[in-house]
Amino acid sequence: MFIHNFKYTLKALFRNKMLIFWTYLFPIILGTFFNLAFSNIENSEKLEIIKIAIVENDKLKSNTIFQEAFETLSDEENEDRLFSTQYVSEEEAKQLLQNNEIIGYMILEEEPKIIIQSSGINETILKYVTEEIMQNTKMINELAENEIQAEIAIGNISIDYHKIYQNVRETIQQEEANIKNIAKSNLSYTMIEFYTLIAMSCLYGGILGMVAINQKLANMSDNGKRVSIAPTKKGKVVLSSLLAGYIAQIIGLAILFAYTILVLKVDFGTNLPLILLLGIVGSLAGLTMGLAIGTVVKANEGLKTGILISVTMLGSFLSGMMGITMKYIIDKNLPILNQINPANMITDGFYALYYYDTLDRFYFNLVSLLLFSGIMLIISYTSLRRQKYDSI
Amino acid sequence: MTVFRAFLRVLNKGKATIILYTIILIFFGIFNMQTSENSTNFVASKPDILIINQDKEEGITKNLMDYLKENSQIVEIKEEEQAIDDALFYRDVNYIVYIPKNYRQDFLAGKNPEIQIKSTGDYQASFAQMMLERYIKVANSYQNNIKEETQLIQKINETLAKQTEVEITSQLDTDHLSKATFYYNFANYSLLAGCVFVICLVLASFKDYKITKRTMVSSMSYQEFNRKLLLSNCLFAVVLWIFYGLLSLVLIGEVMFSIHGLIYLVNSFVFTLCAVTIAFLIGNLIQNKNAINGIVNVVALGSCFLCGAFVPMDWLPDYVLKIAHILPSYYYIKNNEWIKELETINYETLKPIFQNLIIILLFASLFVFMTNMISKRKQKT
Amino acid sequence: MDKIIQIKNLTKQYKDLKAIDNLTMEVRKEEILGLLGPNGSGKSTTINCILSLLNFEQGEIKIFGKEMKPDSYDIKAKIGMVFQEVAVLEELTVQENMDYFCGLYIKDKKTRQQYINEAIELVGLEEFRKFYPKQLSGGLLRRLNIACGIAHKPELIFLDEPTVAVDPQSRNHILDGIQKLRDRGATIVYTTHYMEEVEIICDRVIILDKGKVLASGTTDELKELAKIEEKITVEVNNLQPQYLEKIKKFESVDKVEYHGNILLITYQKGKNNMLDLMDYLKKENIKYNKIYSERPTLNDVFLELTGKELRD
Repeated sequence: MFIHNFKYTLKALFRNKMLIFWTYLFPIILGTFFNLAFSNIENSEKLEIIKIAIVENDKLKSNTIFQEAFETLSDEENEDRLFSTQYVSEEEAKQLLQNNEIIGYMILEEEPKIIIQSSGINETILKYVTEEIMQNTKMINELAENEIQAEIAIGNISIDYHKIYQNVRETIQQEEANIKNIAKSNLSYTMIEFYTLIAMSCLYGGILGMVAINQKLANMSDNGKRVSIAPTKKGKVVLSSLLAGYIAQIIGLAILFAYTILVLKVDFGTNLPLILLLGIVGSLAGLTMGLAIGTVVKANEGLKTGILISVTMLGSFLSGMMGITMKYIIDKNLPILNQINPANMITDGFYALYYYDTLDRFYFNLVSLLLFSGIMLIISYTSLRRQKYDSI
Repeated sequence: MTVFRAFLRVLNKGKATIILYTIILIFFGIFNMQTSENSTNFVASKPDILIINQDKEEGITKNLMDYLKENSQIVEIKEEEQAIDDALFYRDVNYIVYIPKNYRQDFLAGKNPEIQIKSTGDYQASFAQMMLERYIKVANSYQNNIKEETQLIQKINETLAKQTEVEITSQLDTDHLSKATFYYNFANYSLLAGCVFVICLVLASFKDYKITKRTMVSSMSYQEFNRKLLLSNCLFAVVLWIFYGLLSLVLIGEVMFSIHGLIYLVNSFVFTLCAVTIAFLIGNLIQNKNAINGIVNVVALGSCFLCGAFVPMDWLPDYVLKIAHILPSYYYIKNNEWIKELETINYETLKPIFQNLIIILLFASLFVFMTNMISKRKQKT
Repeated sequence: MDKIIQIKNLTKQYKDLKAIDNLTMEVRKEEILGLLGPNGSGKSTTINCILSLLNFEQGEIKIFGKEMKPDSYDIKAKIGMVFQEVAVLEELTVQENMDYFCGLYIKDKKTRQQYINEAIELVGLEEFRKFYPKQLSGGLLRRLNIACGIAHKPELIFLDEPTVAVDPQSRNHILDGIQKLRDRGATIVYTTHYMEEVEIICDRVIILDKGKVLASGTTDELKELAKIEEKITVEVNNLQPQYLEKIKKFESVDKVEYHGNILLITYQKGKNNMLDLMDYLKKENIKYNKIYSERPTLNDVFLELTGKELRD
């Protein structure tokens, strides 16, 4: 009986096109969209080569420090290259700026001057670099002056001014800032989008269990009445139907995992067994949530599905699906909301595996999911253990 | 009137979904349009940084902190390693500077002490790194020569204080225009999803309706019935467009009353027309009511993600943008982006926008043509 | 033991509404019992209580001499139920649906397939085995619904309005099938609000209203309850009132009604009424198109008992 019911429940689930679309295909389609839209975001946020122009005039020609500094910063072979620079006349620079071919240009008069279209990070960097060169010039002058004074003080008459300047410049340029980056390497925040996608899929999958169970309960459907009057133990029917829903869910999740890892190249970190464990436990949370909604809410299947989808989408939204910032805002300001949000438990679990070296946070999420599933089961049980109903 | 009344009845059934699309639009509209600094004066961009000082806040250490504070936005984060790491991951902070213990002492002793940082690696972080390096280099250079701390600090600050004059040429209210572009890009989703959902629902419902309540429409010819249905649908789309237009006046404000605002409206109107034709095409292809929601989401989300409604076009990979050329949304969003940067308004500058509008209309006629082909073939069989 | 079901003092309350009010009835072996009553009279509720799907406040239900409980699997195995609503799985074919539901009763695959074949043959769905429910017409769906309920050869079968909204051909098929089932030795409880069906197939009828038994017996016994014995309908134009008055005074005439061009006369006793009437009409030179006589129906009985029509 267990297997008989299991077999047909699974068959019926797989043939339900709407159900399969929403639980199998929709997450894959959404994942593909995410991938198309987000794959380049983080690269776009890296500093790009900034297109600028410098007005060629006599002042510039006589100022080697400015000349050389911009040349180095625009040198294609320089790893720390910042600019792509054109040397033009003032008229041409204006034209370039108007056509948006450069973000701004520098003109060296008494002091350097920067002309840009609007404020922005690239514009700020141009300003900053110009200032840096000015500051360097000032520093070289001062320090060289000091040296010369010192030479004079010790009575040296044959001072090689040029050499002193040269030396000072070199020492300043060789000055290294002793900075060490200790950030973790897995910093790709767009991954969160895909984690919420898995979370959504886990919870969405609860629809499968819900539909399977609905067909077996006398107070929920006509098919349920038919099943209830048959000489079969209710517990057996419920368990085998739930198992069918769960298996269908896990298969969908496996496909989604395979797709996101192999095709979309989503990085889940390296701990594959724990990644899969989280997926399986996450699906359990979805299944039990579907079960709870299915058994407690007395309404038609459409409305129940609506409730499950709304809860899932709200959960996914709070855990960052429509904007990763959302998850962070909640985590930071109202952590309790996300600690009871199953979608976030799954998302945060993947995040913990991906970003953190220690597993505390992962296990916290895993246990939260199990607790959530337990509560959902208890809620469902009170309704499920009834054999006779007050009304059907 | 019968057709129109029946249309309203169907619309009433689908109102929850329409309201949902609108709420999404409003929510994201407000959520993503918060920053509001009108800038015809130069405003330096400041990276978000966090300073964790393990030294005493005195002397040269304090000076370093003051310098960083002045040139960046200091973010408040709980001083817990996990909270800090989270903040970095979610880009709440771009750059974290750990000033080590005894920094002041070691620095003054010329040891060039190591400063640990955490960086997101994006341009803001790169800029923060440039600033930090700059400071340390200047400080180190003077430190070789000046041994007295206050004098050293004074020298460092004097050097770093040198400013460049900046001149801004653009007089555009870029901030409000960015908002408007963001809003109208997002409206791509709401308009498309709203039109496709309602029109498909109506067409599918009327399929049943025609059979069951034939008597109600028997006084009217099939063509007339269809024409009234088309009219009702267009009317709905226009009402939706007007509504979203008014909403933009409320959310964005004065920019919408300029010529720029007018072009946004024209652009979105043309796109609404196109959305209606898309809806009719889909409605003719799909007769299953249950499938509507799935189709709506795939079509609307798909064109939004591919064409840069959610993620700015600049950030999309090139190949995605190439694919996007086959979708009308691309031209609509491209126009929104252009309007944002429209400095002077004349025939030359408006030409590319008109070209895109014509392309959208061509798409619309293509969809009408395809719809006719399909319904003709259906009638034959 | 020829009492298959015994119900004593059954009472079921839905909030303010008493759905079943102190109901006592029994079902005898190998009979077709008709449960007749308008919508909301408590027919379905009674069956759901018997099947142990519903809680009830009071009363005792015994099936095959034993008390019925949700875990009385031995009793359940011998019961078949055809629900009012079509209860099949949309995603399974006719054959699969049959196999699924029958499989809840019969474990052995060979026996099961044989039983399924017999049931499919009984309802005449042989050519539709591979069809999905969506592809079946309303009548065929009803037949599938019945087949699903009776495939496991139950000894006791409930049919809850199995012919609602069914085309005449399917209806006849269904009624034939029910009689065949009884001939095979099954006991059948049949609820409906179509009294014609009851008159055709039921051995015994219980009339329910507002959760109470109004009357029970064979159709003929019940008809005795109606005060009338014959109804004569005449199609006649422009009948003058004075004639109506005259007819009213005929022997054993109960009531005379004249609407449009239909004259309806009910008689308390049913002898020679037609001939007398025709003679009278001829005598008065009244021209009529059609004249026919009817025996009272269960509807008339119901009307007599409750003062309202059986059908809404």
